[in-house]
Amino acid sequence: MDQIANVSLAVLLGSAMVLAGILSSLMAMRFGAPLLLVFLGFGMLAGEAGPGGVPFDNVEVAYLVGSVALGLILFDGGLRTRLSTFRTVLAPSMSLATAGVMLTAAFTAPVAHFALGLGWIESLLIGSVIASTDAAAVFFLLHAHGLRLRPRVAATLEIESGTNDPIAIFLTLLLVEIILLGGKSWPDIALAFVAKAAGGAVIGWGGGRAISFVLNRVSLAQGLHAPFVSAAALVVFGLAEFIGGSGFLAVYLAGLVVGNRPTRAHNTVVTFLDAATWIAQIVMFLILGLLAWPSRLIDHAVPALAVALTLMVVARPAAVFLCLWPFRFSTREKLFMSWVGLRGAVGIFLASIPLLVELPNGQVYFDIGFVVVLVSLLVQGWTIAPAARRLHISLPRSDPPPRRVELDLPGQLEQELVGYAVGPSSPYLRRHLVPSWAKLMLVVRDEEVLTAGEAQAIREGDHVYLLAPPEKAHALDRFFVDMPAPASPDPQLLGDFFVPGEATLGALAEIYGLSVSPEDLGMSLADQFVRRLGRPARQGDVLPLGTIALLAHRVTEGRVVSVGLRLAEPDPLPATIERWKAALRRAWRRSTAVLRRR
Amino acid sequence: MPLSDLVAPQAVMPALKVNGKKQALLELAARAAELTGLEERDILDVLQQREKLGSTGIGNGIAIPHGKLAKLERMFGLFARLDRAIDFEALDGQPVDLVFLLLAPESAGADHLKALARVARLLRTADTATMLRDSRDAEAIYAVLTMPVPGT
Repeated sequence: MDQIANVSLAVLLGSAMVLAGILSSLMAMRFGAPLLLVFLGFGMLAGEAGPGGVPFDNVEVAYLVGSVALGLILFDGGLRTRLSTFRTVLAPSMSLATAGVMLTAAFTAPVAHFALGLGWIESLLIGSVIASTDAAAVFFLLHAHGLRLRPRVAATLEIESGTNDPIAIFLTLLLVEIILLGGKSWPDIALAFVAKAAGGAVIGWGGGRAISFVLNRVSLAQGLHAPFVSAAALVVFGLAEFIGGSGFLAVYLAGLVVGNRPTRAHNTVVTFLDAATWIAQIVMFLILGLLAWPSRLIDHAVPALAVALTLMVVARPAAVFLCLWPFRFSTREKLFMSWVGLRGAVGIFLASIPLLVELPNGQVYFDIGFVVVLVSLLVQGWTIAPAARRLHISLPRSDPPPRRVELDLPGQLEQELVGYAVGPSSPYLRRHLVPSWAKLMLVVRDEEVLTAGEAQAIREGDHVYLLAPPEKAHALDRFFVDMPAPASPDPQLLGDFFVPGEATLGALAEIYGLSVSPEDLGMSLADQFVRRLGRPARQGDVLPLGTIALLAHRVTEGRVVSVGLRLAEPDPLPATIERWKAALRRAWRRSTAVLRRR
Repeated sequence: MPLSDLVAPQAVMPALKVNGKKQALLELAARAAELTGLEERDILDVLQQREKLGSTGIGNGIAIPHGKLAKLERMFGLFARLDRAIDFEALDGQPVDLVFLLLAPESAGADHLKALARVARLLRTADTATMLRDSRDAEAIYAVLTMPVPGT
């Protein structure tokens, strides 16, 4: 009976800890602290050295849980990445995710070497353990309130953080292997690297295709789609690792493939994985927190802080500047991207590997990794918003997107039902505009369900359901944003005519006879704004262009969408005064003439 | 500022019946060709070239299609009030019922831009637009267009 009692106790304690972790997220939201930090802290409190006193030092369990959790998190990250966003920032984020990780590891190693007196390979291992940025932390902090970045910057950071883990994991495993098995020749290492990456890529891509194929062909029970996808993702992970490829790369790619193909039950899968990744993160952090031993951390505090400091101020910025050198980012943007080098779960997870395989000094790696992640989350996590403001790269906030309900329609993939509440000042209500590809199907009014025909005119407070292609659903959002009607246009502010931001300078110059230097002819107006302002455009920005002026009329995320043309300066106001003066002069002349005649 | 230097009394179409933007441009080009002696095709081409860049619908139901023509001798304006408002792909999405066509000689340069700005600013004043919409015949419309505007 003791065993049963033990199990019950474990269930009670474990679930209570998860529950407390979840509830503590409320606190984190309020203070804007990275949630992960809260979970980690909670794990430490519950552990041996804290008041919880739970003895836990099973590295194998931690590694197993960590692998599964990371697999799900990476799959989810891939699933949410829209390839369309991905493509435009593919080059810079890939450069950061591959070369960037290696450079970061390399630049951190010397400090570890001198501060800890470890060998070079061991120091490089420390560098690799903490070389990758954490997707969860980066996503959370970039989307935390009050921070909106140029899409290119945000997308690069997010994709970098989603894709650099496989490289860091790979580097770490490789270095551990080298330390354990003795020296390997460099060609062997390079070959192993390529083989692992290729294996991961093939399995991941194939697995993703297979998952979407099965999902669309086999009719599973309604609730089983999401578990099927999650389990399949872990199979992809396991399979890739088993054949010697990189499982982490594979599972990310599989997510990317599934997320960007039309699949059945996409929304339930995303919702399910959202929940699954939360649980995965909470459990992983709790366990990693349990594994830590705060009193021992203090022994390594000084070298660990030295490593953390080097990483944040030297290694990461150097890697970012080197990797982004060929791409168009401003120095301020690169500084900011250096600062968003948040470390997270992967770092601690990787730091536990030396413990698992019982490397000499295994404890040192773990402690250093743990402290670095902690410091990074604390220092960088808390200062990201001020940093963005100081560097002037945070954009003014736009209206929050409206809540959208998406419903799958079984039997086909082309269309889904998208529901919105109609706000009093949504463009949909004000102007009755919907794009041609969306069709109004249902109206829910006063708890009554009406067809579009029965409902007639849409009123405030209605809930409308439209039929739309899933990939365009998000574009419907702007028709339902509850924003006040634009104030009556001020012609002085708006310009006389409007052209899209994508129109070229050349086209404008031809029609209005402007002089534009030949190399600028093909440049779009939006790019012209970016180049000449040197910062994201804001509504109302004015650029003189020859005899006319360009006005940023509508701006979306720092990019001018619609440009007002002010063709001539407004007539000078004192025209009336001039007329009066002229009239006075005439009167004066006439009267003097009369006087003279006399 | 009145537009008497740009538009002649016979260049006013008080109730033009068209079904869409394309037809509106076609009718305006035809009338402009009649009055200026230029080729209808040429006029339509420059107008469509400008529309390709972005609609000349400036909002509030007003559109000012415009362009430059080498063979034109002086600036030429043509006003049409549409019988029924049409979609002009205007920025604010509102259907257009007041159209002012402005053609300029290739050499006009800054004068072209100034004239365009003047037309845009005059038509944009709410009173002018209302009066134009309320006018029933060509004479009344012409009077509104050439009426001295208070304050300028």
